[in-house]
Amino acid sequence: MYFSGSMEEPLKLLHSVVQAIHPLDSTDWEALSCIWKPFTARRKEIITSVGETERYLYFVTDGVQRIYYLDDLNREATIAFTYRPSFGGIIDSVLMEVPSRYYYETLTPSSFIRAPYSEFKEVAYERPAVERMLRAGMTQTLSGILERLVEVQCFSSEDKFRNLLKRSPHILQLVPHKYLANYLGIDPTNFSKLVNKVRI
Amino acid sequence: METINKKELLQKLEDIVEQHVSDAIALFQNRDNEFLNRPSDTGGWSIAQCLDHLNSYGHYYLPRMRGKLRTASPIGKEAFTSTWMGAYFTKMMDPETGKRKYKAFKGHIPPSELDSAAVVSEFIRQQEELLYLLRDGVQKDLDVIRIPVSVLPIIRMKVGDIFQFLIAHNERHMQQAKRNLVPQSIY
Repeated sequence: MYFSGSMEEPLKLLHSVVQAIHPLDSTDWEALSCIWKPFTARRKEIITSVGETERYLYFVTDGVQRIYYLDDLNREATIAFTYRPSFGGIIDSVLMEVPSRYYYETLTPSSFIRAPYSEFKEVAYERPAVERMLRAGMTQTLSGILERLVEVQCFSSEDKFRNLLKRSPHILQLVPHKYLANYLGIDPTNFSKLVNKVRI
Repeated sequence: METINKKELLQKLEDIVEQHVSDAIALFQNRDNEFLNRPSDTGGWSIAQCLDHLNSYGHYYLPRMRGKLRTASPIGKEAFTSTWMGAYFTKMMDPETGKRKYKAFKGHIPPSELDSAAVVSEFIRQQEELLYLLRDGVQKDLDVIRIPVSVLPIIRMKVGDIFQFLIAHNERHMQQAKRNLVPQSIY
């Protein structure tokens, strides 16, 4: 199921996502599309560890992953989920070329395509449209993070839960409740009460 | 008993465990307490009871396997050989080869009104841990590490046999639990 012999489908998916962020002409797309290679991981595999500098950009073609922080008391904080069709990985570690402060972990069997950042940098340096695409993509991500901060500070547990389901309707069938509860910052017991209360 | 390739065995077992976790997530974790505690149409175990029964075995075996596997030194050996008794237990529990019913052992009999959300989430947690242990096993000698059998501690079974027995047993009761999803005719 996770055999990734063909790059055709993943690249088509990447193409549609890239075009939606910032349209590229065919020569720019050609240069960008040839640096990706397939990559797969099973359930509960760490893709990036704390302290390790992430060298790849990831694009998710299957499965769900999470970015989490581990504090000095070994408490986990799930920062974000990634899934098809979107970019994944510890983006600040990649772009700033610094050791990651977070873990990137699969929560289900996962497929990606990934590109070495060194090669992406070269393409972006040569091609302003790719650079602009990156900027537009980062701006969208930043906007998403600000929205998420509002949710974290202002929303009730129930509203956070509803919002999560609106953004990712299938996540309840794919991800164990404990990770979802952790992401929303609510107690697992209260989380299962919400599942039963808010009819899906 | 026949000697088999350890890596292939562990991969095969991991695929089964993967199916158990993804089924538990997709089919059980979002159901309410009343549904998960409902006895089967024939008066048998509810879904929560099936999983709680499995959890009671995981509760015994997983910490012991973790302790032994973690401290064992890595080894290049690629083979594993079941003992006669290990293969017998697995065959007995595998729903494909062991068709008759058995009574649950003392200490493994699930109560009826369970906190189903806690039971399902513990089951998922255990299956995730089992995945880690199977991956750990790739580097270890599964013939040498032995664990006392929960219901008969004087027997110390090879950890490679415990893996097979435990996962066959999980499969057995996952099939039973999933039968509760479809209302069945008693005729």
